[in-house]
Amino acid sequence: MADQPTASERFIQGILPENPVFRQLLGLCPALAVTANMKSAVTMTGAVLFVLFCANVITSLIRDLLKPHLRIVVFTLTIATFVTIADRFLAAYLYQMSKTLGPYIPLIIVNCIIICRCEVCASKQSVFVAGADAIGQSIGFGLAVSAIAAVREILGTGNFFDIPVLPAAWPDWVVMILPPGAFLTFGLLIGLVNWFETVKASSQASEVLTPAESEGS
Amino acid sequence: MTAQGKANFFSQAWLVLVLAICFGGLLAGMQILLGPIIETNKINETLERVPVLVFGAAHATELSQSGMEINPLSVGVEKAGKSVRYNVYETKSDGKLAGWVTKSAGQGYADKIEVLIGFDPRMEKITGLFVLDQKETPGLGNKILEDGWRGQFLDKSTAKPLMPVKGKATASNEIDAITGATISSKAVTDIINTAVADLREPLADKAKGK
Amino acid sequence: MTEQTIDKATLSETPAPVIHVSPSPHLADQSLTTQRIMLDVVIGLIPVVAMALFVFRLYAVKQLAISIVSCLVAEALFAKMRGRELPLKDCSALVTGIILALSLPGPAPWYVGVIASFVAIGIGKAIFGGIGMNIFNPAMVGRAFVMIAFASALAASGYQDVNSSVDAVTQATPLDTFKQTGAVAPLSALFLGLTNGSLGETSALACLIGGIYLCIRRSASWEIPAGVISAALVLGGIANLADMDSGWTVLHHLFGGSLLFGAFFIATDPCSSPLTPRGKFIFGLGVGGFVMLLRLFSGYPAGVMFAVLLMNSLTPLINRWTIPRPLGAQ
Repeated sequence: MADQPTASERFIQGILPENPVFRQLLGLCPALAVTANMKSAVTMTGAVLFVLFCANVITSLIRDLLKPHLRIVVFTLTIATFVTIADRFLAAYLYQMSKTLGPYIPLIIVNCIIICRCEVCASKQSVFVAGADAIGQSIGFGLAVSAIAAVREILGTGNFFDIPVLPAAWPDWVVMILPPGAFLTFGLLIGLVNWFETVKASSQASEVLTPAESEGS
Repeated sequence: MTAQGKANFFSQAWLVLVLAICFGGLLAGMQILLGPIIETNKINETLERVPVLVFGAAHATELSQSGMEINPLSVGVEKAGKSVRYNVYETKSDGKLAGWVTKSAGQGYADKIEVLIGFDPRMEKITGLFVLDQKETPGLGNKILEDGWRGQFLDKSTAKPLMPVKGKATASNEIDAITGATISSKAVTDIINTAVADLREPLADKAKGK
Repeated sequence: MTEQTIDKATLSETPAPVIHVSPSPHLADQSLTTQRIMLDVVIGLIPVVAMALFVFRLYAVKQLAISIVSCLVAEALFAKMRGRELPLKDCSALVTGIILALSLPGPAPWYVGVIASFVAIGIGKAIFGGIGMNIFNPAMVGRAFVMIAFASALAASGYQDVNSSVDAVTQATPLDTFKQTGAVAPLSALFLGLTNGSLGETSALACLIGGIYLCIRRSASWEIPAGVISAALVLGGIANLADMDSGWTVLHHLFGGSLLFGAFFIATDPCSSPLTPRGKFIFGLGVGGFVMLLRLFSGYPAGVMFAVLLMNSLTPLINRWTIPRPLGAQ
C-alpha cells in the first residue's frame, strides 16, 4: 500500500482536481435537485459531510474485518444509519428545511460519492486519511452545489441566501429555479470547468517542452 | 457438514450482524431523543397559523399571550355514503368560542394543494386562508400564496358558493382569478367551497350547543 | 421503365465518359446551399413580417429589431468564443432572429427578446456544434426558455396591452378567448390576421403565401406542412364532430393560433427534421397531432412550440425507421 495517497493529498484532491460533481460526475441527484437556492444547497452539503465523515471513519476502523464479498452490505448499512440520523436531526431542529429537502436527504443513502469514497479510500486506508478524504470530498461537493445554487438563485429570484442582491427591477428567470434550469446550469458549469482544464493544460504544455504529466485520472 | 456450514455463515456474517445491532440501537436512541421534538414541530406548524386565521394578523400576537386555547378536533362528515374526516381546530379566547380553523386539501394544477381555512364561530364568514403546501407553476399558479390574492377571501360570506371570475370580481361571492392560472384559482376556491358545504352545519350546531 | 430512361440518358451523354470520385455529401444540386435556403426563408417570411408590421405597428418593429440584432450579436460572440470565422453570411442567425421575433407577443418586454436570442443561438445551436449539428430548432429553444422563465410575460395576459393605440393588442388572443369564454372569432379575421397573438401567427393568409413559396422553391419540404395540416384536419374534425355546438370548426383550428406559421416556417427547419420524405411526413403528422392534443387538453392554448420540440427529439428515431430500402433489398 505504499503507493496510496497521503491524508493531505486526499484532502486536496477532493476539493478541485477530483471534484466529486464536476470531475467524477458523482452525486448528481442532489446537485440537480436541491440547488434551487443557497440555503438548501448548504444544508445538503452539511448532511453529506456528516454522513460521509461518519461512514468513512467507521469503514476505515473495520477495514481489516471486512469480507470482500460482503463489503457493499456493510457500506450500505453504515451509510443508511447515518443518513437516518441526519434526516431525523434536520426534522427536529430545522423543520422547514427538512420539508423543503423532502426525499433528498434519505436519498443520500444511494449517493454514489459516499459509497465510492468508502470503496476507494476508507476500506483501504487509515482512519486519519479516511477522515481527511471525507472532508476534502465534502468541501468539493459543497463548492460544486453552491456554484450551481448561486447561479440558479441569483438568476431565478434575484436573491442570494434569501437576501436581495439584484435590483428590484430584475425580472426573475423562473426557469432557473425549475428543473430545466438545474440541467442547463450544471451542463454549462461542467463546460466551463473543462474549458479551464484545457486552457491550463495547453498553457502548461507550451511552458514545458515535455508533455505535462496528467494529474489524477 | 451442516455444523461446519453454519459456522461458516456466522464467520462470514458476524460483522454485519454486530453492526446491524449497534446501528439499530443507535437509531432507537436517536428516535427516543428526537421523536417528541419532531412531533411538536409537526403540530406547531399548523397551530402557529390558527390565531392569525381566526383573529387576523394584527390581533393575533397580542391575543396569543392572553387566555387563548386551541383544541384539535376531528370532525366526521357523511357524504354520498362516504365518511370524510376533517381536522378542525376549535379556538377559544377567554373561555368563549372565537372561531374554527380547518385543514383541507384538493387537487391543484400540478399537485395537491393543502390549505387552512378560518371561520367565525357560527360558520357565517371566512376569517382567513393560509396555503400550507402547493407545487403550482412558479410565476403563475404559485401566486395563490400572495397576501393580496388570499386577502380577497377575508370576510366572504359562506352562504353562497364562491366563484372565481376573469377580470374584476363584482358580486360579493366572486373572487378575482389569477391571470394565467385559472385552474389554480379555481382549485383553491373549490377546496373552500367543499369544506364550507361539509362543515357548515356540524360546526354551527356545535357552536350553538355550547 | 426506369431502365429505359437510364439507357437513354447514358446514351445521350456518351461523349463524355468521365467518372467523378468525390467524398460525400453527393449533392445533386449544387445551388442548394445553406445561404440560398436561408435567403429563401427570409423571402418567404416577407408576407408574414409585412402583416405583422401592418397589424402590430411599432410592437412588431421593436420585437424584430431586438431579436434580429441580439441573434446576430450572439452568433458573432459564440463563433468568436469557439474560434470560428464569422458565420453571419449564411443568414441562419438572421432567420432565427426573425422567427423568434414573430413567435413572441408584441407587448413582451425588451429583455425577453434578448434573452431568448442568446439562449436560441447559444444553447440551441452553438453548444451542439453550430449550424447543422443542433438537434432542436434554435428559435423554439429560445422561446421555450423565456416561456417558462417569464411565464406571465408570455401567458395570455402577456399578449395584451391595454394602453396600446393598436386595436389588435388590446384584445385577448382568439384561442384564449375561446378557451375561457367559448366565444368564437370570425373566420375571416383569423384568415387575414386581424386578431391578437404572437406577431407572426395571426395571419393564415400570409403564412400560406410565404409557405407555398418555400415549398415551390424546395427550400422547405412540402411533406412536413402537409403532415401537420392533415393531422390538424383529422383531429380538428373529430373535435368538431364531438362538440358541434361550440362553433369552433376545423377551419378555426387550422387558421387559429400559430399552427400554419409553425407548419411552414418552424417545423421545416432542415437540421432538426427527418431526412427522408416519408420521415418528414411522419414528423409533420406528429407535430400536428401534438399541437391538437395540447390545444384540446392542456392549459396552454397554443402548443406549436412544444410540439415542434417534442418531435425534434424524435427525429433520430424517425430517421432510423424510415431508412430507404435500396432497390431489390429484402
